[in-house]
Amino acid sequence: MRIGILSIAHLHAAGYQANLKAIPGIELVGFSHENSAEGQAFNEEFGVPWFSSHQELLAQGLDGVVICSENARHRELVELGAQAGCQILCEKPIEITRADAEAMKNVCDKNGVRFMTAFPARFASSSRALRTMVQQGELGKVFGVNGINHSENPSGHRAWFANKQLAGGGAAMDHIVHLADFFRWCFSTEVIEVYAEIDNLIYPNELEVDTAGLLLITMSNGIQASIDCSWSRPTWYPRWGHLKIEVVGEKGAAVVDGFVQHLTVYAKSGARNPEWIGFGPDANQPMIQEFIDSIREQREPSVTWNDGYQALRVVLAAYESAQRKEPVKLEH
Amino acid sequence: MKGECYMRVGIVGTGTMGEVHAAAWRAIGAEVAGCFSSNPQQRKAFAKQHNTHSFSSYPELLNNADVVDICTPTATHKSLVLAAAQAGKHVICEKPIALTVEDAEAMIEACRGVRFFVGMVLRFFPQYRSAKQLVAGGRIGKPAVLRLKRVSYVPQNPDAWYFNEALSGGIVVDLMIHDFDYARWLAGDVERVYALKTLADTGSAQYVQTVLRLKSGAIALIEGGWAYPPGVFRTGLDLSGTDGLIEWSSDQPSPLITFFPPKVEETASVGLPTSGLADDPFAAELRHAYQCIQSGAPFEVTAEDALEALRISLAVRKSVATGKPVKLP
Repeated sequence: MRIGILSIAHLHAAGYQANLKAIPGIELVGFSHENSAEGQAFNEEFGVPWFSSHQELLAQGLDGVVICSENARHRELVELGAQAGCQILCEKPIEITRADAEAMKNVCDKNGVRFMTAFPARFASSSRALRTMVQQGELGKVFGVNGINHSENPSGHRAWFANKQLAGGGAAMDHIVHLADFFRWCFSTEVIEVYAEIDNLIYPNELEVDTAGLLLITMSNGIQASIDCSWSRPTWYPRWGHLKIEVVGEKGAAVVDGFVQHLTVYAKSGARNPEWIGFGPDANQPMIQEFIDSIREQREPSVTWNDGYQALRVVLAAYESAQRKEPVKLEH
Repeated sequence: MKGECYMRVGIVGTGTMGEVHAAAWRAIGAEVAGCFSSNPQQRKAFAKQHNTHSFSSYPELLNNADVVDICTPTATHKSLVLAAAQAGKHVICEKPIALTVEDAEAMIEACRGVRFFVGMVLRFFPQYRSAKQLVAGGRIGKPAVLRLKRVSYVPQNPDAWYFNEALSGGIVVDLMIHDFDYARWLAGDVERVYALKTLADTGSAQYVQTVLRLKSGAIALIEGGWAYPPGVFRTGLDLSGTDGLIEWSSDQPSPLITFFPPKVEETASVGLPTSGLADDPFAAELRHAYQCIQSGAPFEVTAEDALEALRISLAVRKSVATGKPVKLP
């Protein structure tokens, strides 16, 4: 099976190329990226063939593409990929407006290709175990969920994360979708109301986008959940950040700390000191495997366009709530 | 603490908090002159256990004390404080100060002629104090996102007054007030609040999450509950700012870790957080109040602070009831 990566603007491209290479029978044909310096560096580091134009890579004849561009360029690349007949795996958030996201759905349908949203939180063994626990009723009635996906400022690594035009926003656009999707999936429900406080509190003089956000959401099954999407870990924190989910139920409570398995490293040469080097399972590997399996088995992937779309709606509702200073309802 | 200005302490209320305070007074070497409770049986047992006098009426206790330490259910605070002030006695009162802003204001007014201390004990927990000092020293820059956790289990005495919102103000006023006060201590007054509360179908378990927007711009997520299995009480702080971050969680190990064969342990009827083996925060709090009353120095936490914390708690309760954000004056 022939797979390509369209754009490496998103940091996750580095992980995905390794995930793809690890799957037997996959040929990673190459990656496309318009910026020569970045393209050459990626090529040198990982040995993946570089194409300076997306069309050129697509002309190689691919079964599927992984799209790792800036958020606001997803639509353009999904359209190119779909028109070339490729199955799509798209980085999150799927786009920055509903109209763009809907256009992506239309072009996929028209060209008969399927669309998967990259939500690795669904594939971590800890979060899968949590979902099983919830769905089997082991926690009893769930009172609420405390969700944390706070991180460092990613624009220190890739500047576009803090570019309103390219990213569509800051911390809220970057992080909310992971937990919004996880909650929808874990509880088999939809988000029906969102209250949010979002502001640029952490880098007021350096960045133009929001850097702090707290959400309280209500789901259709009545469960309340909070999401902290802030870029509130300093750049000198031992790791990029955290994904934590605490579910409090009548019969018990469960805490997922997705990246807790780490070594603490104090190295003279360390980029961070100390640094937490993880040794837990890589959730991206089973996510990429699911994409490949869905192509092989010619079926819908387990995470769909609609999942990406519903998560994006939560983000847009959060921005609206923060602006209006009141809860915003979502129709389903 | 005995000396020229030795003050006689009288404890009112001989339940859980009365016990905690009696132990704290003992820890700092103060003598409890006597106790009073409307429950004569409990009062006598308490007096015996703490080797102190059992007074059969509140006026009698007031006659024999310089400072009264009020450890009764919140709904009774106002009348007890007013009577003490009327008798010219200094007052130490458990939090929350009262159940309504009007009552709290009346209590503050009545205490103009005496010292009035409200036990916002969280400010005396060493990790919370230390974090406050770091924030005040500018170590995290301007506070941005504050996360505070206080989730315990349902109090195990089924007839406890905490369950009665008319007596305790409910979980938001009784438990979460600590963290509302702490957020305000760190980053100033609150602009608006929004909260969601979930109740168990049966029983008293409940869980609340609150988002505060402070006038300084900072935002806070405050989590509170009686929701964990008996015996489990987790607290935590995560304070981020423009220049840094402070983290602490009660999940962290204490300076003493023990390993024993599993045994069936009795759960304390009410979860009270501890600070590991450090100084008892209740003792630190009462020492502070005692010394300030003795010396005339200002309290670090004022009755007005306690009133503001109550105001935030009541706004949160209103948000829960209305489903809308609530603005503070």
